[in-house]
Amino acid sequence: MAFLHTATGTSSGPKSGIKSKSWTPYLLLAPGLIWLITFFIFPIISLASTSTMVRPEGAQIGTYVQELRFANYIDAFQANQEQYIRSFIYAALATILALAIAYPLAYMIAFKSGKYRNILLVLVVAPFFTSFLLRTVAWTQILGDEGPIVSTLKLLPFVDESMRLTSTPFAVVSGLTYNFLPFMTLPLYASLERIDPRTLEASGDLYANAFTTFRKVTVPLSLPGVVAGTLLTFIPAAGDYINAAILGNPNTRMIGNVIESRFFAVVDYPTAAALSFTLMATILILVTLYIRRTNTDELV
Amino acid sequence: MANQKVSQDTGDLVLNRISKFYGDFKAVDDLSLTVPDGSFFALLGPSGCGKTTTLRMIAGLEEPSQGTIHIGETDITTQKPYRRNVNTVFQNYALFPHLTIFENVAFGLRRRGIKDVKAEVDKALALVELGHLAERKPGQLSGGQQQRIAVARAIVNRPEVLLLDEPLGALDLKLRRQMQIELKRIQMEVGITFIHVTHDQEEAMTMADTIAVMNQGKIEQMGSATDLYEAPRTAFVANFLGQCNLIKAKVQSRAGGKAVVTAKGHTFEIPLSRVSTENDSILLGVRPEKLRLDDKGINSIKDCVVTDRSFVGTSTQYLVRTPWDLELVVFEQNDEGLHDLRVGDKVSLEWDPEHTFGLDGAQDVNAGADLDDDE
Amino acid sequence: MKRDIESLAPETRALIRAQLTRRSLLVGAGAVVGAGTLAACGTGGSETEGAGIVDVSDTEKIVRWANWPLYLDFDEDAKVYPTLQQFESATGITVTYTEDIDDNNSFYGKVQGQLAIGSDIGYDIVTPTDWMAARFIEQGYAQELDAANIPNKGNIREVLANVGFDPGRNYSLTWQSGFAGFGWNVQKIPKGVRTMEDLFAPANKGRVVVLSELRDTIGVILQYQGVDPSGPFTEDQYMNAIDFLKGKIADGFIRKVRGNSYSEDLVNGDAVAVIGWSGDLFILKSENDGKFDFAIPESGGTLWSDNMLVPSTSTHKKNAELLMNHYYDPAVAAEVAAYVNYICPVEAAQPELEKIDPELAASPFIFPDAETLSKVKVFRALTADEQTNFQAAFDEAIGN
Ligand SMILES: Nc1ncnc2c1ncn2[C@@H]1O[C@H](COP(=O)(O)OP(=O)(O)O)[C@@H](O)[C@H]1O
Ligand SMILES: [Mg+2]
Repeated sequence: MAFLHTATGTSSGPKSGIKSKSWTPYLLLAPGLIWLITFFIFPIISLASTSTMVRPEGAQIGTYVQELRFANYIDAFQANQEQYIRSFIYAALATILALAIAYPLAYMIAFKSGKYRNILLVLVVAPFFTSFLLRTVAWTQILGDEGPIVSTLKLLPFVDESMRLTSTPFAVVSGLTYNFLPFMTLPLYASLERIDPRTLEASGDLYANAFTTFRKVTVPLSLPGVVAGTLLTFIPAAGDYINAAILGNPNTRMIGNVIESRFFAVVDYPTAAALSFTLMATILILVTLYIRRTNTDELV
Repeated sequence: MANQKVSQDTGDLVLNRISKFYGDFKAVDDLSLTVPDGSFFALLGPSGCGKTTTLRMIAGLEEPSQGTIHIGETDITTQKPYRRNVNTVFQNYALFPHLTIFENVAFGLRRRGIKDVKAEVDKALALVELGHLAERKPGQLSGGQQQRIAVARAIVNRPEVLLLDEPLGALDLKLRRQMQIELKRIQMEVGITFIHVTHDQEEAMTMADTIAVMNQGKIEQMGSATDLYEAPRTAFVANFLGQCNLIKAKVQSRAGGKAVVTAKGHTFEIPLSRVSTENDSILLGVRPEKLRLDDKGINSIKDCVVTDRSFVGTSTQYLVRTPWDLELVVFEQNDEGLHDLRVGDKVSLEWDPEHTFGLDGAQDVNAGADLDDDE
Repeated sequence: MKRDIESLAPETRALIRAQLTRRSLLVGAGAVVGAGTLAACGTGGSETEGAGIVDVSDTEKIVRWANWPLYLDFDEDAKVYPTLQQFESATGITVTYTEDIDDNNSFYGKVQGQLAIGSDIGYDIVTPTDWMAARFIEQGYAQELDAANIPNKGNIREVLANVGFDPGRNYSLTWQSGFAGFGWNVQKIPKGVRTMEDLFAPANKGRVVVLSELRDTIGVILQYQGVDPSGPFTEDQYMNAIDFLKGKIADGFIRKVRGNSYSEDLVNGDAVAVIGWSGDLFILKSENDGKFDFAIPESGGTLWSDNMLVPSTSTHKKNAELLMNHYYDPAVAAEVAAYVNYICPVEAAQPELEKIDPELAASPFIFPDAETLSKVKVFRALTADEQTNFQAAFDEAIGN
């Protein structure tokens, strides 16, 4: 993406052209291509093919035949509209929250942490050392009715006894935010860290105060990180189901929960496939529009 | 921002006994300096001597540990950089990579809420002759073009003082020469004070009205290029600006406007006005091109031997060994009176007393020699 | 579904329990792509029983067993499974024991593709719950057992001997069983929870959690509505139970629908009353000084079992049968029961357990008496169409 161009004046070196016809580049590409075909192209095709199958009346569980029934998509979408829309709303909220939390954090690490920088970076990724699931489960304890937060809040006069945090949309969005925070922080850090501090000094030298410098120089220069971070947060968050399953209630289920349920519990592969496909397509469209809008490839 | 107040002070820039400490290390050590309004001033010194630090204190990017900085009557020592009527051309230009050239140049104007940004920017770009690149991004420009944009971006604000931190350091020799002339032209056109930091003595001498030679956080000597070259007052300055022969000597008498000194049984004369020390132990200095291969003068050394010779176009450069085994450098112009000596030839040296200077003998003879002056 | 985990630190226990959800949580975020690959393998199931499978038990002295976590006696100090060791030294057969089953549905999703094409799934014994065992048998994914190799088979508890999905136990043998019923926090509900009205008492609003296991939650509700879940109930009757569940969710009475992790909700106060499993509450009760209790609903609870099966791809059926036989030895069964605290399928193990732990031997949770058993039903086998529709209706009701 935008990282290809460098900010310094020395980027205009000569580009080496292909000197002779050789198989080497193709050979080098081969493992990647095989990987791509095996783990992306093939599943996509099989997903597409499964999505239009139909279960014959009376057939064994998990038995489906191809009838090219595209109405599966309409059925699947109509039956699960609610969770579908909810997924994108939750993912968007979590992305915004993660950005709000991660930006100051990444900024601090990049510019103000001094010798503690590496320790802080390790702390940012430290949650990855335990399983995603266990971390989320830990949240149920922290946010539980008799957990530290609710107990403390209940001491306040205006908080009534029925106050709760778990099994609420709040808990699900918080869980999503927390779990994907490192995906937001690291690209932000990477792009902030790349900023030449002299451009910030130059801005100050050119009559911009600290806030204007932040707005006019730091933010635009960190935009590639913002774009990367928001995508890395939004995409998995939209497809996530762990947080909704553990921290939510029956009214906070996301599309990932539905896909998981259709696939494993109901063994309704066509619906699961149609939903996965629709989710993927929607994310792809949103991401394309987003990247177009933010114009990242022109940045820097 | 439009409502931001930028000081409009004019007058000389005065650094009064400023120091900057990093821990125990003195990057700038009790430095005082006056830069006359409107002058092209060069701060010359080897790398690491504290030039950038000094400049950053003037720009407000660093606060002095001690001392004060004034422009005219106003104390700007602790003023925020964005309030100072001072602009900087950074060592690596520090252009804003996300903005077009036009917006880079317009940046300072917009912050100050100047009305007619376009006209001002166009004028500044015309000044550096790069108007046609206005819509490009810095990454698409060559080093020399970026350098000129950095100048335009600073100069468009009409600061009282323009600070240039090794602005030509990243350019190749030919481009550097060209830009030296260009910068000089721009300075004359806009008439604002330029403080040009460099470690290149030739660059400083070509461009500046006044040069301050800096060494280890202090100013060694300040003056015009000719002053510094013809009458250096320290071994460091003598060696750092061009080449110099320094001979350890003892003062025998100071009378009649001249000092008589001896070295290894030879007697030499120096005009008293060119002796910069009260000490009797001195370093006698003379530039290589002032030495003649003859034995008629008052100051002369006989029975020397040529140990090396190299032809450098306009002149021939000899290494000549004195009877007491000191090697001196001699430049001889390639004109009619050419001697055309060979290695091993016997020769005598002589020079005029007016071309001799006397420095404090307590200094290191080699101070300032071979310090990255042709980097 | 798990062994006694009292020996572990409380936090570890809580986390382990969280992982033991009977519905899949562990499948990870890969469901989107996973649905594609696995579904492709899984469509168009085929009859593969016996196709090219030769029993090599006599030459390859191994047996590979996939079981649920913490579901077999384990010696914490020696890091061995004592009853497995006994088997190995007695028969010379090496057992590979893995805790690979976290959830019936996801386990099925994992192995079904290979079963369908008849390629080795890597296990000679698997241990699914009744209804999933039924699916294995029905789809031809289980091999018929040779009773001659399992002389102890006759030790099976009577109620388990003739189940709907496997009359005469020709394909399966019960591993352990448990009840689903009401669990509650004794401090919050001193008078206990014995009826559906108790469970959904106004004071419990928003602090009730029910199991995400269709057969247990709906099985309990059906009985409350006077319908026998082991009998030929109709789709309408089933949907009535679903509506009841939906209503309680919509009213905000039911806070969550969960797998095993409901026990955590009890511990951290998110739940004061649950539809849960006997074994869990038994353990919770002893871990928390009697703070929790369990009762079979007056209207009736459910009985479920996990069943040992030999998958259709196994080439070590005889070794597997010998292993089953070993665990149906009363002394061995007692050792397991002393450890896992679930209902022991071997009634004759009771006197053996008395020797180890008389108190446990007296527990109706491990050796239920006839009266207890008369209050529980085994959910009937569903046809493939019913399974698909009922599960979809249930999942829709709980928000999926
Ligand atoms: N932020 C700093 N911390 C510590 N030492 C510094 C810092 N900035 C500069 N120095 C030291 O101060 C000395 C002068 O640096 P500088 O002003 O950059 O030299 P110049 O520009 O003349 O090459 C150098 O020895 C440098 O290492
Ligand atoms: Mg410098």
